[in-house]
Parts: sequence; structure tokens; C-alpha cells
Amino acid sequence: MKRILLLLSFFLFVGTTPLIAGNVPTMSKEELKAQLDSKQTVILDVRSGRDWTSSEFKIKGAIRAPGNKIAEWSKTYAKDQTLVLYCA
Amino acid sequence: MRSPLLLSLALGCGWLFSPEALVITGNAAGQLGWLTIPLLALLALLFTVCRQTINSSRRSFADSSELSILQQSIGKIPAASLTLASCFPLLVLAATALLVTSGYTFNEVFLYWFPNFGFAFMLLALLTCAQFLPIKYLHRLQFCFVSLAATGICILGIYGSVTPAKPLAEILQQPQQLSATTLSSALLLLLFAGSNLFQEKESRFSPVPLIAVLVFMFWIFASLAHVDAERLASSTIPYMTASRKILGDTGRQIMGLVVISGSCAAVTGLMLLCREKITDLASQQLAPQFLATRGQRWLLPPLVAITTGSCMATGLAGDELLEILLKSALLLWLLYYCCLSLSATFLLKNKLQTLPLPALLAPLLLLAGWLIIISSSPHTTEILIFISSSLVASTCLAAFWFFSNPRKKDTP
Repeated sequence: MKRILLLLSFFLFVGTTPLIAGNVPTMSKEELKAQLDSKQTVILDVRSGRDWTSSEFKIKGAIRAPGNKIAEWSKTYAKDQTLVLYCA
Repeated sequence: MRSPLLLSLALGCGWLFSPEALVITGNAAGQLGWLTIPLLALLALLFTVCRQTINSSRRSFADSSELSILQQSIGKIPAASLTLASCFPLLVLAATALLVTSGYTFNEVFLYWFPNFGFAFMLLALLTCAQFLPIKYLHRLQFCFVSLAATGICILGIYGSVTPAKPLAEILQQPQQLSATTLSSALLLLLFAGSNLFQEKESRFSPVPLIAVLVFMFWIFASLAHVDAERLASSTIPYMTASRKILGDTGRQIMGLVVISGSCAAVTGLMLLCREKITDLASQQLAPQFLATRGQRWLLPPLVAITTGSCMATGLAGDELLEILLKSALLLWLLYYCCLSLSATFLLKNKLQTLPLPALLAPLLLLAGWLIIISSSPHTTEILIFISSSLVASTCLAAFWFFSNPRKKDTP
């Protein structure tokens, strides 16, 4: 019984992980597609290390901006620009 | 598993079919073109010569483990230190890197909704549990992982080779500057990491290098026949780019299976390598005695799982540092193998009263490759710091146990 409970807790944890990020404003891929040609929109790939190297999905034209150096790169963009950050 | 040849293949080829090895091969193919194939054959020959020298040396002496060969030439503590440093960092770092890569692959190829880290942790837990299986079943499981990965690469490689997307002249076109090609050639040496696991001293034939050449021959040709060399050279996932071009979405799925089974094979293989080394160390009084028996099975896999899990949880996988550390750990293994082969050569020289030239040349050429990789890396300092600190830490550990163990006096 204990083992089953442990296993259930594990799967619950794995299944609910995406919900933790629920409060961050998000954009659907359709919305993003509509803005792709706009100069006001900058797509930033915040993955680094193996998170980036192992991934097959990289948006064309996206700029790499490591998530741990946000203070450095955030200053380089104007405040009226839309910054789209993606990490998966 | 009854056949020593199959067992040797299953255990020695673990790293060979891992996504890491596929990246090295893909990038090298992009840099060197079709020349990668004869070059790989040459490197395989070097490893075969080294293996034969080590086996001959093992046959010549009664107590014939790899550790005892090293001990006779560099002493007990340096031998123990080099053995420890060459396999443990490699296991932890490779497991971190490969499991995270598998997580991404599973998420992107098979199930979008499944968290990549969730899959990586689940795989780590499953592979750790597998270590508690009786060794006979663990060997069978390892054989399944290796066969699945090899079959996938062969299917894509053969299909891609018979249906080229470019004319032959274009595939055989030669690229690139000398500096880049030299480094790529040397990096191919890292493909053979862990190939020293389970080598029968009676056997004169080591199948791992030959299998590497056969399988990668088709895969390299297929990659060059479908993807531009520049793209292969610069891609971080050349295996996925090539498989998508060869067979579309089916190719991606086959490669997805290869990546996951290859990662499992590499982690299981390296775990078995560490267990074997620990048994050797304990039997030579260079590690606690209970590690020579069942103790290591209950202690080592959970310890490695906790360390690897911590590395993944603390974000090492998302740090550029992981690549540097992993390369350093691979270089440490290569250094161990060169030292072992040179020790075996000099032991044979003492016995035969003559220096076998190929046996001396092969490890020296491997050492030259080792130096090329280190000197041409943009992270030479970090690599040297990692190698020296691993050696110092393992020397301290080995020396502590050796001098605090009362039974050391009984040993010759």
C-alpha cells in the first residue's frame, strides 16, 4: 500500500508540474504566429546548456538569451517591445 | 548470458550508441566528410592493438585484472586513484547529460505533455532499480538496450545509404580547414569510452571497435547523403536532423527510440563498469571489503542515483559547464586507458625482453589525440582543473583507505 501511495504521489508530482507556472502570462502559438513578422516582437530562447542543445524545437529567428542573465540582456530591448520568452 | 562475445558487445558498446557518441560522429562527419569512415577504422585499430596488449599482459601474469597491471607499473595508490577518477565522474556526468537528453527526446518525439525532467528522473529511478536485478538479467537487459539502439541506427543508416538525396560526387566532396578536422578526428577517440568493460583475457578478439566501424559506416554515409556537411558540423543534434531527412517522422521516432535505449545502455554500462572497478579495488585492499561482495550492489547504484538526481535538480543540465565537465571526464577515461595500455606494454617488454612496437605506438597515438583535444579546446584550463582535482580527490580517498586498513600488511 505504501509503495502504491508513493508511486501515486510521484505521478501526481510529475503531472502537476506544468501547473506551477500557471500565473505567468502566456501566448498561444496562433497569437505568436500572427506577430512573427512584427518588428515589435522579439522571440527569446532562454534555454541554456543541454536544455538548448538537446532540443529539436528551436523557433527560427529566436535570439538566445540565457535565463540566468536576464539583468544583462533585458536592458538591450525597448520597453514598448513585446518580448516572448520560451523555454521548452 | 552465455556467449562471451555477445556479453562483451552488450557491455562494451553502451556508450558507443549513446546520443553523445552520435553527436561526436555527426559533427565529425560534417567536418571530415566521408574520410570519417577510414579514420574511425584507424582509431578502432588503435584500440584493438591496445586491447590485445592488455589481454596479452593479463594472460602472462597470474593476478591479471586491469588494476593489477596498473599497480605493477605505477604503484598501488596511483593505480587506485586513476581507476576511481576515470569511471565515477564519467558515470555521474554522463548519466546527468544523457538522461536529460532522453527526457527532451521523449517529450519532443513521443509525448508533448509529459515533462522532460519527469521522464529523466523516472528513467534514472528505473535504471537504478534495474541494478538490483540478478546480474544475469541485468546483462540481458543491457543486451536489449544495445541491440535496440544498434538496430535503429542500422535501419536508418542502411535505408539512408541506399536512398541518397544527393549524387555520389557531392557526398564525397571534401570540406574544411585543417584545425577543425584535426580536432574532429581526435574527438572520435571519445567514442570508445567504457569499451574496456568485460574483456575476457582469453579472448584475442575485441568486437567493440569493429562493431563501431560497421554500424557507423552506414550511419555516416547516410547522414552525408541527406544533410549538408555544414549543417551536420554545426548541429547540436545531428542525429535527429539526419534521421528526419532520411525517413521523415518515422525516422524521428526510430531515432527517439535509439536515443532513449542508447542512453539506458550507456548509463547501465558505465554503472556496471564502476561496479567492476570497485570490486577490483576492494579485492586489492584498496576499498572497503564489503564492496567486493554484494555490498556494492546495494550501496553504489543508490549513491550514484542520488548524485545524478542532485546534479539534474540543481540545474547542472541547463548549464554550459556540464559539457566541459563531461568532456573532461571522457578525457580522464582516455588517459586511464592510455596509462593502462602503456603499463601492459612495459610489463610485456620485461617478460619478452623486447619492446613490441605496435603495442607502444598505439597508446602513444591515443595520448597524442588526448593532447590535441585538450590543447585545442577553448576550455583548456577548466579541463585541466577538473582532471587534476579528480585525481587529487581520488588519491586522497585511496590513500586514506589504504593507510587506515589494517589488512594492507598482509598484501605483498
